[in-house]
This record gives sequence, C-alpha cells and structure tokens, in this order.
Amino acid sequence: MASLRKGWNIQVRVIKALMIRELTTRFGRENIGFLWIMVEPLLFAVLVGLLWRAMKGPLEYGVDIITFVVSGYIPLVLFRSAVSRAVSSFTANGGLMYHRQVKILDLVLVRFLIELIGHMMAYLFIAIVLSVFGFFPWPYDLGYLMLGWFYYSIFTLAITLIVAPLSEMSEAVEKFIPVTTYLMVPFSGAFYLVGSLYPAAAAVVLYSPPVHGMEMMRYGIFGPSIDPQFNFLYPLTFSLPCMAVGLLLCRVVRKRLVVE
Amino acid sequence: MIICDKVRKSYHAGNGQREVLKGIDLTVNRGERVALLGRNGAGKSTLIKQIGGVELPTSGRIIRKMSTSWPLGFSGGFQGSLTGYDNARFIARIYGTSYDNMRDFVEEFTELGGSLRMPVKTYSSGMRARLAFALSLGIEFDCYLIDEVILVGDQNFQRKCHDELFEKRGDRAMIIASHDMNTIRQSCSSGVVIHDGIATFYNNISEAIEIYDSL
Repeated sequence: MASLRKGWNIQVRVIKALMIRELTTRFGRENIGFLWIMVEPLLFAVLVGLLWRAMKGPLEYGVDIITFVVSGYIPLVLFRSAVSRAVSSFTANGGLMYHRQVKILDLVLVRFLIELIGHMMAYLFIAIVLSVFGFFPWPYDLGYLMLGWFYYSIFTLAITLIVAPLSEMSEAVEKFIPVTTYLMVPFSGAFYLVGSLYPAAAAVVLYSPPVHGMEMMRYGIFGPSIDPQFNFLYPLTFSLPCMAVGLLLCRVVRKRLVVE
Repeated sequence: MIICDKVRKSYHAGNGQREVLKGIDLTVNRGERVALLGRNGAGKSTLIKQIGGVELPTSGRIIRKMSTSWPLGFSGGFQGSLTGYDNARFIARIYGTSYDNMRDFVEEFTELGGSLRMPVKTYSSGMRARLAFALSLGIEFDCYLIDEVILVGDQNFQRKCHDELFEKRGDRAMIIASHDMNTIRQSCSSGVVIHDGIATFYNNISEAIEIYDSL
C-alpha cells in the first residue's frame, strides 16, 4: 500500500512537471502565456458559429444556432487537435526518457490533458459569454453535460493512445492523420441531431462512439426537446478495448524507441 | 548494485538489424568506480543508455539496486528550448527536491550567470556540460553514469568536477566512459573493455587499459 501511494505521488509530480514544461515550451511566459491554449478553439467555434448564424438564421433545431454550433464544434476541435498533437509525440519528447520516472504513457497523457483543459476552458468561457447575452441556457441537466464530455474525452484519449505509437511505427499513418481527422467531422455528431436524421443515417452514425457523447452533452444543455439518442454501454465497449490496444502498442514502441 | 544480465541491443539498419551489444554481463557494486573502455562505436554509450534506462535492451535485463543518475552527456536530460533555470526547475520537480537548493547549487557550480536565463540550445558544449553536471549533482544518486562529458570544459570546471565527484562523493559508484586514460587511471579502480559487443571485466584498471591499447 505504501509503495503504491509512493508511486502515485511520483506519478502526479511527474505529470504536473511535464504539463508546466509543455505549456512553457509551447506558449512561453509573455503576454497571456498559457491562456493561448483556449484561443484557438475559441476562435474556431465563434467564427464557425457566426458563419452558420449568417447562413441559416437564429435558430437550428429550435435552439439558438450559435450555442448549437459552439457546443458541437469545441469537442470536435478537441478531438482533432488532441490526435494531431499525439502524432510523433514520442520522438519529439524522447529526451525525457533520460529520467526514469517519466513513463512513455505520461507523454501521451500530458499532451491530451493540456488539450482537454484548454478546450474545456474555451467551452466554459464561451458558454458564460453567450449566457450573458441570453443565448446559452442554464444547462437542463449538468450531470448529462459532464457525462457527455466524459464519454467524448474517453474516446479521444483512446484514439490518441493508438495514434501516438502507430505514428512512430509507420510514416504512412503520420501522413494520413490530418485527412482522417477531417473525415471524422460527420461522425462526431457536431453539426446535427441524430433524431433529425433519416433512420438509416442515424443507425450509421450511432456506430461512432463520440456521437453518443455529443448527444448526451446536447441533452444536458437543451433538455428532452432535442430528442437525444445515446447508449451508455456501446461507446465504452469501443473505447476501452481501444485503450487496451493502445497501451500494448505503447509498450512495443517504448522497447524500440531510439533516444539520442 | 547494478547487474546487467545477458543484455543485448540491436538497432534497425537498413532492412536488417545491427546488434551492438551481444550479451553483456556486468556487475557494479556500491562505491565501485568502473571505467568503460572501447573504440569509437564499440557500444559504450549504448550500454550506458541501457543501464540508465533511457533505452530498453532488446533482450536480457538490468537490475538496479541503487539509485542511478541519468547518463551525463552533452545532450539528453534537458530541453533545448527551455532556459537553464527552467531546466533546473523541471529536474527539481520530477525528482521531488527543493528548487531553491537546486538553483543555488546550479548558479554556484556552473558560474553561468545571466546565461541561465537563455535557452539551453544557445549554449556551447562546455556550457552544456556545466549545466548537465550541475543538474545531476544537484540530486544525490548512489551511482553516476558519465559519458565522455568530463573531458570538456576548462581547467576550473575540471577541478570543480573533480572536487564534487571524486572528493565529496568519493563513496558513490560511477561508470565512466572516456578516452582520456589519465583521468581513467586516476579515478577508476576497475575497468570494462567493450569489444565486438562483449564486455570483459578487469579488476585492475592498468590491465584494462593495456588490453584497450592493444585493440
């Protein structure tokens, strides 16, 4: 028990140090510093939201269109940036292997956590701003909103755990990642409600785990009027085995990793 | 005690594999100072990396029964885009020691002054060596792994290294890879010659140097 706690303490210490290090290298200490992590998702979401507002008018599926777009787009941007940050993260940080308490999983986890925190901050920020103007409603069920985020993040983490080692094993994977994450757009559930799709199309997109998370989030925000469709079990039966495979791949890559 | 048990390491080379270490058996006891001798490319650095846990052996195992430093060299152990201070802070954080002590020691040992506020990638190799040494001496290890780095730097730095490493920490184990036979003869009690991927241990350092010279 004592050694378990000691291990846990080291782990927490290392993750903290790595996060600070990553934030300093990426954003520096000048001007707003690490707050930059929320700028990109914020800009993305606001601009796309305004675009939709201009094209389609104030409402979508009976709710405010900007709120609808933002609530879908930020998690999608999280997925895309987390996956692209995962590519080659071992080579980029190989030097950290000089310190034995830094494990290869920490590298993936730290990059994922930074993206997650940045995007959640952006989400919270924009929700507060929109709610000041009366667009973002007080969540119908905060629990479902958070559960949706949890499902979405677990899926994202599982994919980064696979992409990170695969990108080290094969150059091709590295090249295909950007286009593949782009193809995820329709399968992320960001721009539609499953309930509004043709049944055949709905059946297809429900095979995609993040769609369930997205529907939970939307239910948590807007309530039953949007006719949410999700399953609690299915996304986990996808994400958890993915994680297990990812952990195995990380082990294989660690063994082969060449550090300068 | 550090035990290398049939350690093998191969790297990808074109379509095939090149085996650099072909079954290394080696035991380093507490307080023992071992020189690692071998020609360029013999696998000294590779072995040090396996012992330090930077890379994992292809087969065989390494048992560490004392705390072991990371391999001290020009690269590795720190991040080029961060400043000297930031690197010190990072090391202090992950090893769970006090940053204040670390900073004082680094300032005093490296004598780098304002350069510590500059990114490490702008440092010369001598400055890097100073920082690398200071960072690892800022943390107490039972065994220090030293890869060549001891030879760089000016007189003053070499004297400091000598004081800190061989005088103050005379009771620690060390594994030192070097081509400088003077340093080796002065500071090591035994030697290991690596040749053709195999390590041979000599209890007497003079004997080890003789064998190395005849290679």
